[in-house]
Amino acid sequence: MSKVDPRIANLDRGAALPRKNGELVFKAPWEGRAFGMVVVLNEKGAYAWDEFRARLVEEIAEGSPEYYESWLSAFESLLIDHGVVSVDELGRRASEYASLERDPVF
Amino acid sequence: MTKHDHHEHGDHSHHPEAPSDIEARTLALESLLIEKGLLTSEDVDRIISAYEHDIGPMIGARVVAHAWVDLDYRARLLNDGPAAIRELGYDYPASTGLAVLESTKEVHHMVVCTLCSCYPWAVLGLPPTWYKSAPYRSRAVVEPRKVLEEFGVALPADVSVNVWDSSSDLRYMVLPERPEGTEGWTEEQLAAIVSRDCMIGVARPQVPAEANR
Amino acid sequence: MNGIHDMGGMDGFGPVVVEKDEPVFHHRWEGSVRAIMRQTVGRFYNLDEFRNVVERMPPEEYLRASYYERWLHALETLMVQRGVITLEELRSGRANGPSIAANIKHEPRPELIARFSSGDNVVTRNLNPTGHTRLPRYARGKRGVVRTVNGPFLLPDSNAHRGAKVWEACYAVEFTARELWGDRASSIDRVCVDLWESYLRSEEGES
Repeated sequence: MSKVDPRIANLDRGAALPRKNGELVFKAPWEGRAFGMVVVLNEKGAYAWDEFRARLVEEIAEGSPEYYESWLSAFESLLIDHGVVSVDELGRRASEYASLERDPVF
Repeated sequence: MTKHDHHEHGDHSHHPEAPSDIEARTLALESLLIEKGLLTSEDVDRIISAYEHDIGPMIGARVVAHAWVDLDYRARLLNDGPAAIRELGYDYPASTGLAVLESTKEVHHMVVCTLCSCYPWAVLGLPPTWYKSAPYRSRAVVEPRKVLEEFGVALPADVSVNVWDSSSDLRYMVLPERPEGTEGWTEEQLAAIVSRDCMIGVARPQVPAEANR
Repeated sequence: MNGIHDMGGMDGFGPVVVEKDEPVFHHRWEGSVRAIMRQTVGRFYNLDEFRNVVERMPPEEYLRASYYERWLHALETLMVQRGVITLEELRSGRANGPSIAANIKHEPRPELIARFSSGDNVVTRNLNPTGHTRLPRYARGKRGVVRTVNGPFLLPDSNAHRGAKVWEACYAVEFTARELWGDRASSIDRVCVDLWESYLRSEEGES
C-alpha cells in the first residue's frame, strides 16, 4: 500500500485537488493517469514537488477551467524542461494516438 | 480503473473511438515514460488507488489547519462542526453530528468508543485496527495516560486528560494545539503535520527537525 | 446486555498494537462487507439492531473475530432474519428469486425537549437490561455533570428491538476519573460519555 503524501493531498486552495465527499474525483480515466504519473515521478525523485506545484499554480492562473488540463500542461512543460521528453516526441506520439495508429487503451 | 468508462457503449474493442486531444496527450506521456523505464502502469494504478481511497484523514487535517490560521473559523468549528466542515466544501452526513474538542495547554482530549467503534469517518476516513481493538477500547477510559505513553505522548501531571466515550449519534474529533515553531506556515504546510492520530487525540502534531522552512 | 462488547475499564487485553502503514482494508472482502453494510443499514435494519446482533455473539467468538468478521456475522444474521435473502441462498451463493423492498420507515427528528441543562448534576441509573443499551457498565450509578445537550436521538434500548421510536435528549455527561475508577485514576482527569435522558436522574434524589 502506497502512502499518501500530505503535501500532495493537501494542495492549497487555488490548486486543491477536485473532490467529492472528500475523495478525489477523476472525471475520466486520463485524469487519473495524469495524476498518477506526476505522483510516481515525484516519488522517484525526478523533480521536487514544489517545482511541479509552482507550474500547476501558474497553469491554473492562466485560466483553463479544467483542473486536470492545467495539471497535464504543467507536467508536460516540467518534463520537457528537464529533458525527459522532447516536444517533438510528445507531439508525434499524441498524433499517433489521436489518429488511431496506436490503440488508445488506458 | 475501467477502460473507457466515460463512453457509455460497450463495444469498443474492435472499433476504438478516437481519443480526445487531452486523452491522446496523456496516452503519449504514459507510453513514453514507460518506454523510458521511468514508471510502470502498475505504479500509476497504485497511486490512483492510494489517493482515491486513503484520503480520509486529509479532510480533518485541512479543517484543523484552517482553524489554526483563522480564529473566527475556529470559533465556528467548535460551535457547529458539520456546518464548518461544509463551509470548506466537504460533505458531512446529516445522520450524525460532530463535536470538535479543542486541546489546550491545560486539557488534552482523546476519543474512544468502548461499546463498538464509533469514529468520525466522514472527516478521518476509516478507523485503524488499533482503534477497534479490545486493548484500546478497554484501557482508554481507565488508564489513558498509560495508553498515551505507549503512543509516545508523555503528558505532564498537571495537564488534565479528558476522554470522550462516543456512545451516541454524535462523533468527536480533536482539534490539537498548534505547535510552536509553525509561525508563518501556510495551511498546506500545517495540514501536513496533522496526522489522523492527532485528531483522535493519541498524538500531538510534531514539527519536523529540518523544518526551518 | 452485560456483554463482552462493553469493554470500558476491563484489564488484561495487553498493550495497544499499532500496525505501521496499515492498509484501509486487509482483504478485499472487508471492503465488500463494509459496502454491503452501508447499502443495507437504514433500509432493512437500523444501526442499533445491527449493533445488538454483534453484541449477542458468544463472547469467545466475539473476541476471536476481527472487526469485519463481526460485521459479516451481523449482516448474514439480519439479511436472513429480515427475509432479504434465504438461508439456502446464503449457502448456495445463488439468488432464487427477487428480494423484498426496503422496509424501515424514517421519521423526521422532532424538536429537542431536554429535562437537564448544561451544568446540572446528574446520577446515572443502575440499569442492567438484558436487551441493548448504550449505558456502559463502568458509568452506572455514578455522579456526573451535564456538559452539553444534544439530540434528540432515538433511544437505542427501544430502537434495537424495533420497539417504539423514543426520541430523547442525549447529554455529554462528564465524570471525574476518580468517580469512575477511584484512586487508580489521576485526580484531574475526566471521562465524558454521551448518555440518553432515561439513563439519568437528577442528583437531588427524586427519580
